[in-house]
Amino acid sequence: MNSELYLLVVFWALPVYLTAFTLYSVRAVKGPTIPDSVLAIDAMSYDLAAFITILSILFRSPILIAVAIVLALWVFALDIYVAKYLESREMGE
Amino acid sequence: MTMIEEVINEILMFMGTLMIVVGAIADLIGSIGLLRFPNFFVRLHAATVGTIWGAFVPLIGAALFAAGYVELGTYRWFVAGGAVVTALLILLLGPVGSHALARASYRSKAAIPHPLIHDALKEKLGEGEKK
Repeated sequence: MNSELYLLVVFWALPVYLTAFTLYSVRAVKGPTIPDSVLAIDAMSYDLAAFITILSILFRSPILIAVAIVLALWVFALDIYVAKYLESREMGE
Repeated sequence: MTMIEEVINEILMFMGTLMIVVGAIADLIGSIGLLRFPNFFVRLHAATVGTIWGAFVPLIGAALFAAGYVELGTYRWFVAGGAVVTALLILLLGPVGSHALARASYRSKAAIPHPLIHDALKEKLGEGEKK
């Protein structure tokens, strides 16, 4: 078994993810309109769920998986709330 | 552990590593596109590349990796199942959320499509109002 080699490759994929998160954050802060910021937060959080799953393998702590599922669901809720607010100017009943 | 199990675990970990690396590269491409494209409706394309190729593919890869990673103990099936559930949720919810956001921002004119050549949806909506 050479699992150490695979773990090393996965470990060196993490800086690429961090660079992508930085670029997403730039768009989220800079975004000229509200939908731009929400779209950047949306894409960043889905990728953060994948990042947390990879971290739970590297750290050997399986409990981190629960965080990823909840994060994906909350970001979907953010999308739907902002879409509803933009279309009808109310937060829903 | 028998020989055949070792071979299966090796293949699972190789496929998982490959998918995680592909996901990292697609994530970088999606974020560069989100930063460089001119308006919101073009940026949606880059963001969905970052959602499906950048989140769904590495989650499936992480599930395969965890299923073949014996040092994780019995809990590796917990990690693999959780990763598959998260991947399926993202596969369903990502496009739905992006579509709802695009529809709302077009109808409420929150995002203006600036370099615009032809707007077929506007004509269609205008015809709907006349009838």
